[in-house]
Amino acid sequence: MLKDITLGQYFPGDTIVHRLDPRTKLILVVLYIIALFQAEGWVSYAVVLAVSVLCMLLSHIRPKNLFRGLKPMLIIITLTALLNIFYTDGTPVVPGWIITWEGIARAVKMILRIVLLITGTFLLTYTTSPIALTDGLEMLLSPLKKWKVPVHEMTMMMSMALRFIPTLIEETDKIMSAQRARGADFETGSLVRRATALIPVLVPLFVSSFRRADELAVAMECRCYHGGEGRTRMKQLVMSSADHVALLLGVLFLAGIIVLKLLGL
Amino acid sequence: MSSIIQFDHVHYKYPGDEKESLCGISLSIEEGSFVAVLGRNGSGKSSVAKHMNAILVPDSGKVTVCGMDTADESNLLKIRRNVGMVFQNPDNQIVANVVEDDVAFAPENLGIPSAEIRERVDSSLELVGMLEYKKHAPHLLSGGQKQRVAIAGVLAMQPGIIVLDEPTAMLDPQGRKDVISTITRLCRENHMTVVLITHHMDECVNADEVIVLSAGSVAASGPPQEVFSDIALMEEQGLSSPETVKILYDLNREGFSFPLTTLGVDACAQMIADALESR
Repeated sequence: MLKDITLGQYFPGDTIVHRLDPRTKLILVVLYIIALFQAEGWVSYAVVLAVSVLCMLLSHIRPKNLFRGLKPMLIIITLTALLNIFYTDGTPVVPGWIITWEGIARAVKMILRIVLLITGTFLLTYTTSPIALTDGLEMLLSPLKKWKVPVHEMTMMMSMALRFIPTLIEETDKIMSAQRARGADFETGSLVRRATALIPVLVPLFVSSFRRADELAVAMECRCYHGGEGRTRMKQLVMSSADHVALLLGVLFLAGIIVLKLLGL
Repeated sequence: MSSIIQFDHVHYKYPGDEKESLCGISLSIEEGSFVAVLGRNGSGKSSVAKHMNAILVPDSGKVTVCGMDTADESNLLKIRRNVGMVFQNPDNQIVANVVEDDVAFAPENLGIPSAEIRERVDSSLELVGMLEYKKHAPHLLSGGQKQRVAIAGVLAMQPGIIVLDEPTAMLDPQGRKDVISTITRLCRENHMTVVLITHHMDECVNADEVIVLSAGSVAASGPPQEVFSDIALMEEQGLSSPETVKILYDLNREGFSFPLTTLGVDACAQMIADALESR
């Protein structure tokens, strides 16, 4: 069960999407999200869908992996769809019914919007190593340092958190096995029962995480960590011409969607 | 040879503790030597290690590393980059999720130009025999491999001294062997000063000097042959001598007269075989 967690997962590869600078990809994802929320008519949705399918094909990420990330969101997606179907006014599909044509159309658009939002952002984390991602984020946000925003600290915490996800998953598995061996039952009973059964897992997990954090902090100090000041990078980020082209295409894409919106398509 | 680490009547008490964990320790470690620090739990081994790179500073007394006083805050970074420190749990000292990024962490902190970091990372990984794993994710490596990555991580600072605080406590026998042979090689071939804190006697056999700690002070020190042959002292300290010494000691009680200074397994076997033949 725990192995299914796709958060922060990275599939190494050597496609054009993988090679783009993380900063470019971050900006493109932001442009993509704005475009997605600007889309209103069917034509705009079709364009956004086509663009994301194209990116998916370019990245050689298997659709299976992208859809696996959608699984946890299934409940939210169905719930939003149902609410939209039943609570939208308009012409009923069959006279007297509560379901309207407008409701169905809105439900379909909502599903598309959520699915495209998730797959789009997953495409970013799947094709960018966490280190590159946090490096890119740090550089993009670095102007905020002027206003005393602790950008380096925030991105450092983020990359540490990503680094410890597999370690903590392993540890959770271990603790669960240990509690199971002593008769704990995590699978049966009501939701409340199963939730309370997790307490003996969470308490040792928290305690050991704090101990880990303490040891990690000492180990980092031993390796001369003293904040972001005067730090250099082994892997420096370089914007290539491909990045400039990609950014230009991204801006054109957003502009196109806005034009479509103004045309009411 | 000159002493590179010097403890001068060091007292230290952890905040909130009743008892001092170091009670006036004085010791000195020679440049380029391989020193093993032994002692049971609570004897002050880890506190000694943490004093060597100014993670802890003495309450009274003085610790000098490469001629620098550890109590002087302005020396902090210089001391830490000269004294690499490796801890027990490799998982809690690896900071990145790619091996080479982790090794690059220390030189990045030191502000070294990126081309040189790349060189240092590759040569450090080469030294510990992990170069072929540089693109791997650390959580997929074995314990011994992770610990060697951690060693490479401090080697990238190019320290003169490397202090290892029970680096093999969480490893399987193969991992232990790999780690110990790596650090022995670093000392013998790369002329680094190695301080190994451990409670496995077998790991100290190749050391130049053994320091036995007890209740925060030095109970014995000297070449391993000397310290280990004092079976009474070892037992008093709750430590067991290496297997080879034990066998020779038991045989001596049965009427043989072996010197208790042979620590290597092969040499010991040869000696017993010779004695049996001449009987």
